[in-house]
Amino acid sequence: MTTHPSPAVITRYAEGGSGLDDATVWSVEVHLETCAGCRAHLAGSATDDTRALLDRVAAGLAGGIAAGPLPVRRQRPWSAVHRRWLVWALLPWLTMTVAVLGCAFLLEALRPGLPSLLLLLAPVAPLPGVAVAWSRRADPAWELITGTPSAGLTMLLRRTAAVLAIVIPALALAGAGSGISLALMLLPSLAFTTATIALGAVFGVRRAAAGVSLLWTLAVVLPSVVIEELPVILRPGSVPVWALAIVGLAAFAASRADGYRRLSSRN
Amino acid sequence: MRRTATGDRRAFDELYRRTSPWLAVRLRRRCADGDVVADVLQETYLAVWRAAGSFAGSAASGSATGWLWTIAANRLVDAFRRRARQAQVPAVPLAETVAPAAEEEVMAGRVGQELEQALLVLPPELRQVLRAMVLDGLSVRETSLLLSVPEGTVKSRARRARIQLREALS
Amino acid sequence: MMRTVSAAETAPTTHPWVVHTEGLRVRAGRHLAVDGLDLALGIGVHGLLGPNGAGKTTLMRALATVVKPAGGRLTLLGEQVDGRSDLRRVRRALGYLPQQFGFYPRFTVREFVEYMAWLKEMPKTAVPGAVQRAIDRVGLTAKANARMKTLSGGMLRRAGIAQAIVNDPEVLLLDEPTVGLDPEQRLDFREMLRDLSVDSCVLVSTHLVEDVVAACTDVVMINEGRLVYQGTPNDLTAQGGQGDAGDSPAERGYSALLRRHRAGAGR
Repeated sequence: MTTHPSPAVITRYAEGGSGLDDATVWSVEVHLETCAGCRAHLAGSATDDTRALLDRVAAGLAGGIAAGPLPVRRQRPWSAVHRRWLVWALLPWLTMTVAVLGCAFLLEALRPGLPSLLLLLAPVAPLPGVAVAWSRRADPAWELITGTPSAGLTMLLRRTAAVLAIVIPALALAGAGSGISLALMLLPSLAFTTATIALGAVFGVRRAAAGVSLLWTLAVVLPSVVIEELPVILRPGSVPVWALAIVGLAAFAASRADGYRRLSSRN
Repeated sequence: MRRTATGDRRAFDELYRRTSPWLAVRLRRRCADGDVVADVLQETYLAVWRAAGSFAGSAASGSATGWLWTIAANRLVDAFRRRARQAQVPAVPLAETVAPAAEEEVMAGRVGQELEQALLVLPPELRQVLRAMVLDGLSVRETSLLLSVPEGTVKSRARRARIQLREALS
Repeated sequence: MMRTVSAAETAPTTHPWVVHTEGLRVRAGRHLAVDGLDLALGIGVHGLLGPNGAGKTTLMRALATVVKPAGGRLTLLGEQVDGRSDLRRVRRALGYLPQQFGFYPRFTVREFVEYMAWLKEMPKTAVPGAVQRAIDRVGLTAKANARMKTLSGGMLRRAGIAQAIVNDPEVLLLDEPTVGLDPEQRLDFREMLRDLSVDSCVLVSTHLVEDVVAACTDVVMINEGRLVYQGTPNDLTAQGGQGDAGDSPAERGYSALLRRHRAGAGR
């Protein structure tokens, strides 16, 4: 803070008019913005005109306050969460996902002979949530949101993070419970999420999610259940492959980030 | 501010008592019409009262004067806009003439002596634009409404001011 | 508060029109709703008239950068927005109210406008003041803390207008903003439009010819995706004669222009 102006200067500032030159006025105003003490001095040396003005305003304020609504209260951060539409739209899908994972977990415990259903289903577990997070039908204000500067890949990632925040712990718990390596449980699901986002730039996120899930079910899950053997890509040695896939797909998604800034009829 | 947000009328009155003289004097130096200043002050403090919770939450850092001035400046520009439409623009006080600095008026702790001397070199209309944009934080659009000059003129004056200041300071 | 003024802010304006389209083509689904539209809009309130299916909503969406044009040139505030461009800067100076206004039922009016202000990347300290100002301008002060699902149709529309103006946009696009407003509210809305006409470019799409004549400085008529007419409301009225359909001079002018356009197109 700059040092304080003398009382005489403050009085002349309070009077208005041309008692001070522009440069002094500028300094005084900059100083007053941060110094409560000098503002108090100013209040003390206010002219009668100013005091009359302030009294008039105070009377008007009293009327306005009486007539109007009460001040809005401070928001608690957690209350913001329960208002978000995303929470309510996601709830059924996430409950279903967790329930399916729970059933898979039970099946594994009961029928150890079958290939791990948990491992087979883990990759596609987050996809229903991701599809809902960027779905036109689920978000009532989609048209408004798309026109804002924040719309784009960052927003989609934020919403995906919300989905993953529920699904990943569920997967980790289930995996730990049935003794499967954590990397093997989590990396494929991350890779599939990245793939959906990357393909979503080209085909639309909902279609990408549906397509990827279908492909995975037909090409990997069903044959594995029939043959009763884990596919190669889900064996412990394939962890680095999944990690590489995540990096590659993420790079691809970042390069197509522009596609998320607009509504297209596919989304 | 937090107490105002809970509907504490005394806290609000305290805020008014402490900040309104400063705001009133500063506004009076931007607009010569006392009625307009009264309206702007009333709207500003009503807005603070009604949105108290939001202010307490988001603008918690720093003193209240920053966003108080922003609200007041915006309402002032709104008042000018309304009257520009009806062709009744209030008078803006002319830029103060340069008074010779007498011995007893030397003020300790000025915001950079050189900058101030440089400011005094500028013609008054450039000083006005600088004050509106730099000190009051208005945008080009808002400045053009406040000073009743076209946006292009505001921009060219700001550019000239910057050039002249740079010359004066070097 | 002292702030720095960037060189970009004071650089001379090089664009003659705020909104400029050349041969704009925009698809709505498979159908080419906007087909070769040439439009130039400056500061003021422009009324957008046209029969149903003329492409008004699609045009609004393209101008709001929500939908990518299929062809032609679209320049907003001097920046070309049809290709792979950085939309964020333009979107910060944009305000849009879509025809189907979706909202989050659990939010209060204030929370909704605050959320939209945050999405529009307004500086955080400016948000509460700007939100209150927007709410006051549309006349929703008394209902600022009411939940959106408790609002009537007209109030919802006004909340939508509030979120469109919260960032003091230079380009404001309103699609059917007066739906559900009673006559007194419509008068207030026209006052607000007149205020906005001083320093921003507003495009109001409406079915009510009277709204246009009362508050607009300029009338734009489109039919089947092409520009039919652009001129002052008085000129529009002058186009009509006794033989044309309509209950007011402006409506007669409207029908006359429409008839001539259809005849010219060989229909």
